[in-house]
This record gives sequence, C-alpha cells and structure tokens, in this order.
Amino acid sequence: MVSPAVLGLLLFVLAPFALSFLISFTDLSLGSPHPMHWVGTLQYERLFHDPALARALANNLRFALVVVPLQTALALALAVLLHRPGWRLAGLYRAIFFAPVVFPMSLVAVIWRYLYAPGLQGPANRLLSWLSLGHWQARDFLHDPEWALGALMALSVWQGVGLQMVILLGGLQQIPSDLYEAAALDGAGPLQRFRRVTLPMLRNTLIFTALMTSILAFRVFDQVQILTHGGPAGATSTLMFELVRSAFERLQMGRACALTVLFVLIVLLLTGLQRLALRQRAL
Amino acid sequence: MGLKLTFLPEGSYNSQVQAAALAGQLPDILEFDGPLLYRYVWQGCLRPLGRLLNDSARTNLLPSLERQGTFRGRLYSVGVFDSGLALYGRKSLLESVGARLPSRPEEAWTIAQFERILKDLARADEDGQVLDLKLNYQGEWLTYAFSPVLVSAGADLRHLDRPEAARALTLLQEWSEHGLIDPNLDDAAFVEGRVALSWVGHWEYPRYAERWGGDLCLIPLPNFGIGSRSGQGSWNWAITSRCGSPRRAAEFLNFLLEDAQVLEMTAGNGAVPGTLSAIAKSPLYQKGGPLRLFSQQLLEGWCAPRPATPAYPFVTSVFQQAVRDIVHGAPVKKVLQSAAQDIRQDELDNEDYR
Repeated sequence: MVSPAVLGLLLFVLAPFALSFLISFTDLSLGSPHPMHWVGTLQYERLFHDPALARALANNLRFALVVVPLQTALALALAVLLHRPGWRLAGLYRAIFFAPVVFPMSLVAVIWRYLYAPGLQGPANRLLSWLSLGHWQARDFLHDPEWALGALMALSVWQGVGLQMVILLGGLQQIPSDLYEAAALDGAGPLQRFRRVTLPMLRNTLIFTALMTSILAFRVFDQVQILTHGGPAGATSTLMFELVRSAFERLQMGRACALTVLFVLIVLLLTGLQRLALRQRAL
Repeated sequence: MGLKLTFLPEGSYNSQVQAAALAGQLPDILEFDGPLLYRYVWQGCLRPLGRLLNDSARTNLLPSLERQGTFRGRLYSVGVFDSGLALYGRKSLLESVGARLPSRPEEAWTIAQFERILKDLARADEDGQVLDLKLNYQGEWLTYAFSPVLVSAGADLRHLDRPEAARALTLLQEWSEHGLIDPNLDDAAFVEGRVALSWVGHWEYPRYAERWGGDLCLIPLPNFGIGSRSGQGSWNWAITSRCGSPRRAAEFLNFLLEDAQVLEMTAGNGAVPGTLSAIAKSPLYQKGGPLRLFSQQLLEGWCAPRPATPAYPFVTSVFQQAVRDIVHGAPVKKVLQSAAQDIRQDELDNEDYR
C-alpha cells in the first residue's frame, strides 16, 4: 500500500538530498574538468565565516519576524470579514483577495517595480506624499538600504495573504455554529465569541499557516532576484538567493549543496517547533 | 549538406549547453555568447579551428573577433558580427551648453570635460537627470558596459583592487549620488527627451535615429585615463570536439563569413559586420557611415575585450554585484577589494583554471 509513495519519496526527495549532503563535503564546480575532491567540512567552515551569508540569514529572520505575524493577522481579519454564510458578494471578494496568489511572482514583481519607482512620479511615493500632506521625501525604495527589505516585505504580504486567508476560511467553516449560538446564549458579545470560540477552534489552522509562512520566509527568492539582486550591498540578500547564485551563476556546487543542507536544517527546526506547539494542546 | 538547427531560449542557454556537454550530446556546431568560449575550451567542449578555416576568411575577420575567439594561443570561434558602445547625444542640447562634439575615439572627452558637460546640462534640465546608463538592463549589461571603464582607467576585471578601478567607479557613484542618472525604468529616457546622453550599444541606433533624426550624434565613451574604451564581443560560432566531420562543419563557418551572409545577418540585427570586407560594403559602418565610430573602435582597438578566462561566469557575477552596490552608494574600495578576493579565491579553488 505505502510502497509507491515511499518509492517516490526515496527517489525524488531523499536521494537528491542525500546527494546534496555528500556533495556539500566536496569542492565540485559545475562543468569543471578537474576531478572533484573531498574537502571535509571546508564549505561549512567558509559559510560560518561568510559575512554575506550572516547578512542573508539575518534578512530572512527579519523577514519572518515581520511578515509572519503581519500576514497571519491580516489573513485572519480578511477571513473573519468574509466568513458570512449566505452573503452573496463573499465569493467575489474572496476571488479578489486570492488573485495575487495566482499571479506569478515575476509578474507581481514587475508591477511593484513601477509602484516603487523613485521620485514623486512613483505611485508609492505619491501616495505617501499625499497622506503626509507633502511632508514625505521621495525615496528610491528598492535601492535604499533602509527601505529595500521593507519594500519586499510589503509586496510579499500583498501577494501571500490570500492563500492564508483561504486556509483560515476553511478553518472557520469547520467551527460548528452551535458553539457560537451557545456562547451567545451565555451572553458573550462578538469580541468574546472571537476570543473564546474562534481563536481556540482555529488554533491548529493558525499554527499551520504561520509555519507555512515561516518556511516561505526562509525561501524568499523570486522578488529578490527580480527586483534587487540582494542589493543594495546585501540589504535584501536571502539564503535562497545566495544558494541559487552560488549554484547557477557562480557554479560552486559544493557551496550550494552546503547551503541546501543548512536550509533543510532550518525547515526541520521550524517543523519541529510546530509539532511541539501542536502537542502542547493535546496535554 | 543538410543542417539541423535547434533554438534554445537565451536565459538558460548556457545551462542547456552544459547539460548537453555532460550528456555527451553537443551538436557539431555551437553558437554562444563570446565570453563563455574560454570555459567551454577549458571543459574540452570545442576544437581549435586550426587550418579548417580558410586563410582568406581568417585574415578578413575583425581583429576584435579574432581576439575573442582565441584562447591560450589558438583560434576556436568566428563571429559573423561584433558590437560596440558609445554615448548617443542630442546635438542641440549639447551645443546649447557649448560642448565640443567628438566623433572619433582619440578625441573623446576627458573626465573633467565630461563632468563639466553633465553639470551644465543638469543646470538646464528640469529634473537634473541628464545621463542614461541603461540601469534598467539586467545581468551581463553591467559587465559589458562598465568593465571598459576599468580598462580606460588602467585597471581591468582581473585587477579590481587597483586604485585606478576604485577611482573610476567612484566617478560612477558620484554621478548617481548627484542625481545625474535617469533610472530609466521604462527604457524611454532618451526617446522621451528626458536625458541628453544615453550610454548604450549599437542596437539602439534604429530607435534613436527614428526619434531624433539629424539631432542625434554618436560620441565615444569618455577617456578615464589611458584612452576611450568601448565594450566588444557578441555571439560567435565554434565546432565542438565531438563533431564527426569537422571539415564540413568548417565549410559552414566559411560560408557564414562570406560578405553576402555577413551583410544579410547584420542588416537584420543591426550589429557591426564581422569581416573587414563586409564593413567596407556596409552603408552604416563604412568610412563616412553614421555608425563608423563603432567599426573604428573595433578595427583600431579602442575597445576592452572581456577577460579570456574559464572563470568568466564567476567574474561577471561578482562584478555585476559590485557595480550594482557601488551605483547605489556602497563604499567603493571595500566592495572592489572583497570582489577581487572572491575572484582570487575562485581561481585557487579551481587550481587556477589550468
């Protein structure tokens, strides 16, 4: 029964990873005619001392710390607003908020490049200038070391919130309506019903969506590659950007595989944290 | 003889060639971007042309193409066309600030003259942005467009830690910081008249000439120290080492280098014809033609070839990052020193690419 699935896992997940793990202890350079050498933990030692990687990981962490709570809260707010059984326009709004998820990031990034255009002609600058009654100093968001990462965060939240919203809506729909009726009979107001019924019942779904967003926050790549190339001066570089650049631009397979192993460790750690969070509930 | 032609999308061209090489499935003849040649030779993918190429075709080849196709003393590739860089200018605007208009590389503006002109133009310009460096282009453009600056200053991609390199790229950073450069997100800075000068290659001529007609002028890139330098190099043809009938493959290359083919190809893509005889027949590039500057740069060596090293993919990736960082305000010396270190480390990791 399980064998086809296990075989698929072995062939397409475990085997490539095992290979990456092995290659991470070599100096393999893509297409090099020289024989590859075992270099022990050299690649890992270099990563450990690489300030560019430290910067990239710090960016991933900042990204996760801002985007995960922000995007989860926003998705929850949208889901609660749209969870109105029998409301005809709900479908339309759901589609609107979900649409960015379906757009390819390459398209989204091109549009946001124009939104972030430098100077007061840029829509984002113009909006901020209008909101601040003209006090806003126009900025080149994507090339400003202070703003570039934040600019990528904003577009990522806009693009990703729809998916979380849909998952949370699914969670909301599974909460039996008699719980709300009972709470109402007991005199609970809307805010209390949200805190005492909705949130506890959504707990697992929320943990899942937060975990998913955290993992996505550690593999942020497309928007970085298209909009900033990790710049200015590393301000938006990420683990995945470093990895792809090592492998496919700089052809350093040994280093890229060591980065892959690092990435898998981070994902395992996050997944472990989720399991811990879920188990606590069972106690 | 029959030919089977396979088109590959440009973005992933090199990875597909690498995959085909690993699988032992390279075609007989390969066309690819010039600076990749040295890596392909190092990998053993290409065979030297040696006596396969007609003597007449070899002597007729542009010197810049012969240089591009030669690695460790042997010629491996031929190009049907080459490329060039220059400043496209608006004559009326430049004359209104009293600028001298050089038309030959030996007359190029010095840096002091160039900066004076930029500042004068900026004073008369609505937003002060008067120069387009095509910062909207991505990737290889940055190396193609700005490594000649290093050479013109007396450094090059293999010597990024020289003070000349830092001095030259500091100028670039200052132009950016002084707001002289149009970010050109819409690729229309020059045709919409937002800038007076556009730093770009031969390929923009049709669009620019159509828009500005007689007001358009072609100016060599400024002299950063040892003379003006243009970019050079483009896609070229080589015979792979697994080709079973190199003689017949070479026949095809010889055929491509005949005037008729070269002129038809360059009429199509607008590039500089790759042979001396075709240049003499090209209305755009012959003596007195409107694009003579580009062919003169290639014929007389006013250009900077990208370095002939198998490390090229690594070098260009590191340099592109350095240029992006510098243009957007990173400390120039530090960026260049760390780039030079990365390049040196990669050479050590690859046993100096022997």
